[in-house]
Amino acid sequence: MKELNILYLYPDILELYGDYGNIQVLKYRLEKRGIKAIVTPYSIGDAIPNFKDYDLVFAGGGADQEQSILAKDLIKYKDNIKDAIDQGVFFLLICGAYQLFGKYYKGVEGNIIPGLDIFPYYTEAINDRKKRCIGNVVIDVDLNGKGTKVIGFGNHGGQTYDITTPFGKVLFGNGNKFGDDNEGFFLKNVIATYLHGPLLSKNPELADYIIKYCLDRKYNEDTILDSLDDTFENLCRKQLLNRFLNNN
Amino acid sequence: MKNFFIILIMKLLNIGLKICGKHGGNFLGKIAYDWNPNIFKYFKVNSPVIAVTATNGKTMTNNAIGYVLKTAGKKVVSNTEGNNMETGILSTILKNCTLTGKIKADYLVFEVDEGYVPVVFKDFPLDTLVVLDFFRDQLDRNGEVESLILKINEFLKTYTGNLVLNNDDPNVARLGKANPDNKNVYYFSAEKYDFATTEQKEAGEGKFCPFCKTRLEYEYYQYSHIGKFKCPNCGYGDNPIYKLATNIDLKNRTFKVDDVTYKIRFNSIYNIYNLLAVITCVSLYSIDTKIIKEALSKFVLNNGRLEEVKVRGIPTIINLAKNPTGSNVSLRILNEDDEEKELLFVLNDNIADGFDVSWIWDINFDNLNNVSRIVTSGTRAYDIAIRIKTSGYDASKIEPYLDLHDAVENLYKTNVKKYVIANYTALQPTRKELKL
Repeated sequence: MKELNILYLYPDILELYGDYGNIQVLKYRLEKRGIKAIVTPYSIGDAIPNFKDYDLVFAGGGADQEQSILAKDLIKYKDNIKDAIDQGVFFLLICGAYQLFGKYYKGVEGNIIPGLDIFPYYTEAINDRKKRCIGNVVIDVDLNGKGTKVIGFGNHGGQTYDITTPFGKVLFGNGNKFGDDNEGFFLKNVIATYLHGPLLSKNPELADYIIKYCLDRKYNEDTILDSLDDTFENLCRKQLLNRFLNNN
Repeated sequence: MKNFFIILIMKLLNIGLKICGKHGGNFLGKIAYDWNPNIFKYFKVNSPVIAVTATNGKTMTNNAIGYVLKTAGKKVVSNTEGNNMETGILSTILKNCTLTGKIKADYLVFEVDEGYVPVVFKDFPLDTLVVLDFFRDQLDRNGEVESLILKINEFLKTYTGNLVLNNDDPNVARLGKANPDNKNVYYFSAEKYDFATTEQKEAGEGKFCPFCKTRLEYEYYQYSHIGKFKCPNCGYGDNPIYKLATNIDLKNRTFKVDDVTYKIRFNSIYNIYNLLAVITCVSLYSIDTKIIKEALSKFVLNNGRLEEVKVRGIPTIINLAKNPTGSNVSLRILNEDDEEKELLFVLNDNIADGFDVSWIWDINFDNLNNVSRIVTSGTRAYDIAIRIKTSGYDASKIEPYLDLHDAVENLYKTNVKKYVIANYTALQPTRKELKL
């Protein structure tokens, strides 16, 4: 039986916006296809994980206060993480985790939370605490040459700058900054985005892209995934795309 | 003089509204507050003011306190309809005061939105503040829970009135330390109930000690992050308990406080906490235990807060659930009931609900007990269907309908007992569709 090893970072801290749902969706889509999903949680105080040993590393968004607690912990593994990324381990990073992998996060009071500095972008909060990019978002994403629309929900005060390889083009809602055309950060094996929803719940194509990448890499093959019954997902996409893009 | 005229005009407006058959809601308060934001100062209050705040359970606790006091023969002025922002509270006061701003009542009892406690009681006397719980709730509207707690904490730094706190919520109990000079802090707590767990089952806050940032240790979780906790480093949580609920028996709907057994009309641990807060609060006003007992044995809410009714002859239990904890409490009640049942979940994403529906992924749909079918509806009927499917529930037994009428018609095709969960703006349309 094939299996994928998923490392779930700080599940008890980065769990504010239902991002755990991404793990549930991946697990669901793997198990429906007879592939085992082994999910290993890591949080402050646990034994040091070897990031290279995993096929997929996932981290979500959390509350501001708790995020600064874990930033100090995560930074200890910088080299370990960088190594894993270079070797092709897939990283899915949502919201707070997206910010943490950049150079730094500058808070409203000007305080700087240093990031892992693995990617060249940085994030700065807007002076007004009440101003946040909040709302539904639709972006156009290119997955291996195939265009798809990704639907999610953004809720972030931080404005992320210096993105050279965005995850998608914004069709509706806010991107990395207020009114930005670009959303998220994308490398072959890294997706970092502000989109909750959770992200994978309404975007089965994206979920399968990640699954295929991980299986191809692990088993060194061109995996053809069994198709699943996505009736609810398709109805949901049709309804929401129509509502957000066509105002119906 | 200005305030006199404001009140006079509001009273006339209120008469006008009544003639038109309108209730008014926040309307009077909104106009009066816009006219003079300092109007709260003008009122002359000679009776104790009690306020209830929380994420969940405000309406029930507020109304139960009022009900107990009324049963004791007291005249109570209260915002029982749930208008809990400064304008709603002002509307209630305006309807019940004289032109010179005197409020004739033995007690004023208000439920107050978590964010508005400092606003309302800046210039208005407060005798007792009851705080039940803090949960994540419509994050896109309210922001993170921590900022709300900090606001209330700031307000409490100079407050010396009674403070009734749930000692089993680490985010509530911490408020007892806001003003070290306040000797009137009363903690309540509940002993472990039958379905309490040693691991947290549902999403919650308060993982770290608010004082020393150490991870909190729990002896047990009742639901979400409510339970017996302690900080292993600084000992936070170890407060003297003023009222403790023991012998909690949800099947028979009874629990004990100070050796008195209370029979109630509700069957969830969540309501035990609410009613325990009521007992703690009214005991500060020397209300006879016999009267409290009698009042609580009769107290019910008929507004979709754990409402038990028959619809088309079929037993139906309806509950409002506007956040993960509210939904998880509803599902606990459903899972603690072994009978076969069907579930209707109505999920909207209108302004008052918050546009973000990701919170439904914090609802624990695992291992539903004897649920033979699930119907979903609301503007996010498909989102909730996907959520339930992904938890492992058989997709072929889930029926999503965007149209609420279709959903209800299909739900009542069978004679099986129904549970209905609806979020904020979905609740009243659902009750209407059920002809309630």
